[in-house]
Amino acid sequence: MASIARSALLKQAASASKFSNTSMAQVRRHDEQLQLLYFDPSNRSPHVVNDPAPVPPTSPSHGSYHWTFDRLIAASLIPLTVAPFAAGSLNPTMDAVLAAMILIHSHTGFQAIIVDYIPTKRLPKTRKAFMWGLNVATAVVGLALYEFETTDVGLTETIKRIWQA
Amino acid sequence: MKTFQIYRWNPDTPTEKPRMQSYTLDLNKTGPMVLDALIRIKNELDPTLTFRRSCREGICGSCAMNINGTNTLACLCRIPAEDAAETKIYPLPHTYVVKDLVPDLTLFYKQYKSIKPYLQRDTPSPDGKEYRQSKADRRKLDGLYECILCACCSTSCPSYWWNSEEYLGPAILLQSYRWLADSRDERTQERYDALNNSMSLYRCHTILNCTRTCPKGLNPGLAIANIKKEMSF
Repeated sequence: MASIARSALLKQAASASKFSNTSMAQVRRHDEQLQLLYFDPSNRSPHVVNDPAPVPPTSPSHGSYHWTFDRLIAASLIPLTVAPFAAGSLNPTMDAVLAAMILIHSHTGFQAIIVDYIPTKRLPKTRKAFMWGLNVATAVVGLALYEFETTDVGLTETIKRIWQA
Repeated sequence: MKTFQIYRWNPDTPTEKPRMQSYTLDLNKTGPMVLDALIRIKNELDPTLTFRRSCREGICGSCAMNINGTNTLACLCRIPAEDAAETKIYPLPHTYVVKDLVPDLTLFYKQYKSIKPYLQRDTPSPDGKEYRQSKADRRKLDGLYECILCACCSTSCPSYWWNSEEYLGPAILLQSYRWLADSRDERTQERYDALNNSMSLYRCHTILNCTRTCPKGLNPGLAIANIKKEMSF
């Protein structure tokens, strides 16, 4: 709108037989008025397009610590998976550690999927429901693995038996 | 002769669905790049076709669009002349369209502003003149400062498609790393803290569409990996 008003004024000024001082002064005055209107910060709304996107609060437990922890778990799973087969013997403690690591690894993995696909901003209730659902699932699987490790043959032995069956 | 299929949508008739419009050009009379073809279509066939362009040599980043399924700059993309198939041109994926091939990049620029893309320093330089840098330190900025913010990489990233409100996306993170890697900047810790949450940085899942699509041949994936590594312990 500003540009339309301005071009109309400029046209007016140009159509005059010569550039009279009064019309140029008029243009300048009009420009000053526009500047007051559009460039005065007090006239601006608090959220204009030129404002930066908000920066979320620092939270290493959801950021860098979480990422490092994830990588350490993932990396430790490799030797833990290979060890029983390489050693050829079964150690119940190692087996329990492997089961726990797999449990944590899958928990954080599913957590990442929920964070990716169910954004808090758009679906806050669904997000909460899915997070609790995951917590319950992890608890149930954790209990089951505990039972399996303590009263049955354990993870590695089961895989071995299925493999040889 | 070559046929171009171009995405058309007019905000003046918002109820009309977007459509693909075909234009056929004689390639012997057209320049080698897709942008040459677009300009010729606008000049000679259809003046209502709308797209952004400025420098026509890959330094302004205005003509970023999706050509045959790849985000690239129209001015740096050759018309596949030996291929008889139609060339399909869409605006950058997962952006709000202003008109035809013009995407709304407001959020992209707001996110760029949020990382404070300028030198932040409290100590004055020892000789009161310039902030000096060793050659080795300057070399760290190669492959980072060349980014022209065309938004090709960010709009090719699935993670940015799903979470663009909170995830910064590869282009902005590459720019972030450009200031983290700068030996003259003194607010490195503050910059790390601004990224240290679950959304801003860590929604990157190393898909590497960014690196594959970058029309300037940069590697945003590597820059993001470097930020993660530096923040890890």
